[in-house]
Amino acid sequence: MLELKRALDAKGHCLLEMPSGTGKTTTLLSLIVAYMKAHPLDLTKLVYCSRTVPEIEKVMEELRKLMNYYEKEMGMEQNILGLALSSRKNLCIHPSVSKEREGKVVDGRCYSLTASFVRARHAADDAVPICEFYEGFDAHGKEFPLPPGVYNLDDLKEYGQTKRWCPYFLARHTITHANIVVYSYHYLLDPKIAEVVSKEISKSSVVVFDEAHNIDNVCIDSMSVKITKRLLDKCSNSITILETTISNMKENDSKRLEKEYKRLVEGLRDATIARETDMALVNPVLPSEILEEAVPGTIRTAEHFVAFLKRVVEYIKTRLRVQHVVQESPAGFLRDIHTKVCIDRKPLRFTAERLASLIRTLEISDLTDFSPLVTVSHFATLVSTYTKGFTIIIEPFEDRAPTVSNPILYFSCLDSSIAIKPVFNRFQTVVITSGTLSPLDMYPKILDFHPVIMTSFTMTLARPCILPMIVSKGNDQVAMSSRYETREDTAVIRNYGNLLVEVAAAVPDGIVCFFTSYLYLETIVSSWYDQGIIDQLQRHKLLFIETQDAAETSLALINYIKACDNGRGAVLLSVARGKVSEGIDFDHHLGRAVLMFGIPYVYTQSRILRARLEYLRDQFQIRENDFLTFDAMRHAAQCLGRCMRGKTDYGIMVLADKRFSRADKRSKLPKWIQEHLKDTNCNLSTEECVQICKRWLRQMAQPFSREDQLGISLLTLEQLQSEEMQKKIQQRAQGV
Amino acid sequence: MDDYQTCPKCKTTKYRNPAMVLMVNACGHALCESCVELLFAKGSGACPECKCPLRRNNFRVQLFEDPAVDKEVDIRKRILKEFNKRQEDFPTLREYNDYLEEVETIIFNLVFDIDPAGTNKMIDNYKKENKDITQKNRNRQSQEEMELEELLEAEKAQQSEKANLYVNAELEEKKQKHKAREKLIDELMFSDADAKSIVASHVQATAALAKEQPKAAAQPSSGVVKSSKFSSGVQIGLRGQHTNSFLPIPKQEDLPLHRYTAPVFDYDGPPPPAIEKLGKLNYFANIRAANITERAGGYTEAMSCCRALQEALGGLFYSPQLTHKTAVLATNSSTQDTDDMETT
Repeated sequence: MLELKRALDAKGHCLLEMPSGTGKTTTLLSLIVAYMKAHPLDLTKLVYCSRTVPEIEKVMEELRKLMNYYEKEMGMEQNILGLALSSRKNLCIHPSVSKEREGKVVDGRCYSLTASFVRARHAADDAVPICEFYEGFDAHGKEFPLPPGVYNLDDLKEYGQTKRWCPYFLARHTITHANIVVYSYHYLLDPKIAEVVSKEISKSSVVVFDEAHNIDNVCIDSMSVKITKRLLDKCSNSITILETTISNMKENDSKRLEKEYKRLVEGLRDATIARETDMALVNPVLPSEILEEAVPGTIRTAEHFVAFLKRVVEYIKTRLRVQHVVQESPAGFLRDIHTKVCIDRKPLRFTAERLASLIRTLEISDLTDFSPLVTVSHFATLVSTYTKGFTIIIEPFEDRAPTVSNPILYFSCLDSSIAIKPVFNRFQTVVITSGTLSPLDMYPKILDFHPVIMTSFTMTLARPCILPMIVSKGNDQVAMSSRYETREDTAVIRNYGNLLVEVAAAVPDGIVCFFTSYLYLETIVSSWYDQGIIDQLQRHKLLFIETQDAAETSLALINYIKACDNGRGAVLLSVARGKVSEGIDFDHHLGRAVLMFGIPYVYTQSRILRARLEYLRDQFQIRENDFLTFDAMRHAAQCLGRCMRGKTDYGIMVLADKRFSRADKRSKLPKWIQEHLKDTNCNLSTEECVQICKRWLRQMAQPFSREDQLGISLLTLEQLQSEEMQKKIQQRAQGV
Repeated sequence: MDDYQTCPKCKTTKYRNPAMVLMVNACGHALCESCVELLFAKGSGACPECKCPLRRNNFRVQLFEDPAVDKEVDIRKRILKEFNKRQEDFPTLREYNDYLEEVETIIFNLVFDIDPAGTNKMIDNYKKENKDITQKNRNRQSQEEMELEELLEAEKAQQSEKANLYVNAELEEKKQKHKAREKLIDELMFSDADAKSIVASHVQATAALAKEQPKAAAQPSSGVVKSSKFSSGVQIGLRGQHTNSFLPIPKQEDLPLHRYTAPVFDYDGPPPPAIEKLGKLNYFANIRAANITERAGGYTEAMSCCRALQEALGGLFYSPQLTHKTAVLATNSSTQDTDDMETT
């Protein structure tokens, strides 16, 4: 709290690593809300970004608790409005649209019911369907602001149902005057969405990125484009649709096209873009000076523009017809497109905007078909706007299947700072926090910002409730490692198996294992079958395996939880960087031990990764190995952190690779894990490891009551105010 | 290319004959290579689809999936050769955009055969009116192209430099690590000191090295960025001169204007009579008069007479003592110099 307060006072950005389950969310919320109450002029809004919908819900719960507490203590209604925002898919209450499963389809159908021209048509002809909820909101909702309180997604829906207002647009509208907004990263980081949703958030806001250990990848993904052959074929189809629509319109209603043309001639920006329902197409980040310029003459009329699009698409098709991998810079691509099909840089830059304008003019209500074309237009705009920090890689086939032709063009962003820069520039305080941000100094480098505060916190614990260990060899003294040279070695695989079997025999309830990749997981499990390890394992616990299929994995998870709950005990084999490692918590008996088999390095042969490493090296002086180790260790830490979700929780963390004991890897673990990692536990064999586990589990199994924690990790008000404790706190504050 | 591409004439597909190559001509209709050989054996003929007369030489390999795009690009390239005005040629952006649209319309008309007569007339008119600008613009690159070129060049230079640098740095580091380790083992083997202290000192040394290294790696990379242009944006080297085709006139210094002053000759004797007065003083009586041929070249007898008089009178006041003294002085000083040299 002290550090956060300092950052707020300094109006600067900060980077905080706090172990999971220690009240990170509550701390952030309570301090920032209190600060908002104390300095209403300095701080007007809190924008809390989380990753997934369940996480958003969790934050809303915490906020509700806080507000209830305020009410109880202060004895009056609090004038604070907090709300969660998610996609239409999660907020829609339209009887038929809300039944759709896919987010894109919901967006498209919503657009076809609420777009301004559809509504205009409805006014003329009652047969045209519209959304009654949006109409209700449009008619009445804008005058009456949401009463203060905390609204999560369900509350919003309920409120919408009673008032017959569309909850999605209500939430979007309310963002501007809400005090606390909780939504997903993308609403702020993805330039395409941020432009629409988060445009009006004032500068004096605090932005919190929770679970931000992967923030650089999110930034990069939001700016990258992937174009496949199929996508291009779809583009060709939509171009033909455009052509026919244009010729139809020319015959029936040429006025509208003329109007659009005139507007473009004048160089006026589209006035309708402000209309909230027409947002389905938005242009990616463009410097504002370009936006104010008029659209170049080459693509001003509709037919010319369609011909232009056709040339772009055909050109990309020829580029995809390569026999070997091509990597080139945006500058090279621009030159080539100029010589091959005579397209200049300037009209390319306007592609996205022009396409949006055209689709609006043509009143095409079904947008789902046009998403491939929109992707290509974004690519065209991005490639002509940014010459630095991006690269184009064209692969004729996948590395794993070199005979099957499957050409893909990757337009990949190498610089994570491009997407996040506007956020840092716009808001006075940006807080980046997670349970695992170590090594901290890497983030300012790759995100290119200067934090005022950068700290890693540890836990104060009444008992040593985590037991990290590095197991480097099996009982036969063969070193365990997932190194490329030894990973196929049967001795190594057998040692991994024995380790798991022995740990499973000693540890109660759930055990989670992480492998470095799906491929490695599968090869190991198949050889465990041959070696009879699977049979031994199933004597102790049930076995579940994560696969690449999301539905299968969630089924496995449900049964895993069931097996843990009824006392049978279970082992879950999963993959670092997979779904399990990112979003799912294994608290208490669901995860009594985590085993990390090998160091989860990324697939280093990927060309995109290589290009990024090269860029990092050239631009930020980060060496390839440093970045790879950093990336591997943050994922390892993320996996280990899965089993610890609170102070009463306890868990064993086994790092089964010889290389973990090296100083460069060990020092990159989060401080709160390092603190408990003793030197004596750094080079164990399987047998030693199991001995330590048994002793430690016996200790942990002692009854643990609230009174034991009092005074150490839990303080009463008197204790907090006691002189001794105050001194201690002071000391800590100065120490860090 | 894709398997479903078909020759419209003989219906061969790419799938059946992977060696098939489609060709297009000016009309934008595709034919496979063997059909072209067959139909245009004479060198010219009509397109089997639109009957428009074609020459065999003009067939090219089809680049794009849609032959219409091939045709359009072809026409576009031809038209843009003529219509190559730049934004700099127009007073406002709006006019430039209007011009661009006009060009686009012309191309569009040509591609879809809308009003061919009118369009051709427009092109001819334009050609006549803008001959100079077209010619001029052909020789210079647009600002944008130049920018791109520059970027590419900078990238290339950077790449080659950096690649070497980092590879070397990494190799060097590995070597040092290896060396340090060997040294440690040697010391442990042969030295009598306490093993713990040896290991401790080794750890210290490697830590110090590690601290130094990042700095060393960071230094060269920041220093090597060589710019290819001056701060004003003018290219360094030959390329800049080439694109500008403009040699600056050497700038004149701002000195005071030259003023003529008649030279003063030091005859060191009595002044000879002025050249105009020689005739009056009757000097010519004693010399040969210039003949016609000599006069034609501008020679008069006065010239030689004047020269002879100047030579006769010049130096009459010369006194040898004075100059002798200075000469002696000069030799003295030079001998002194040599003495100095010897002593030093």
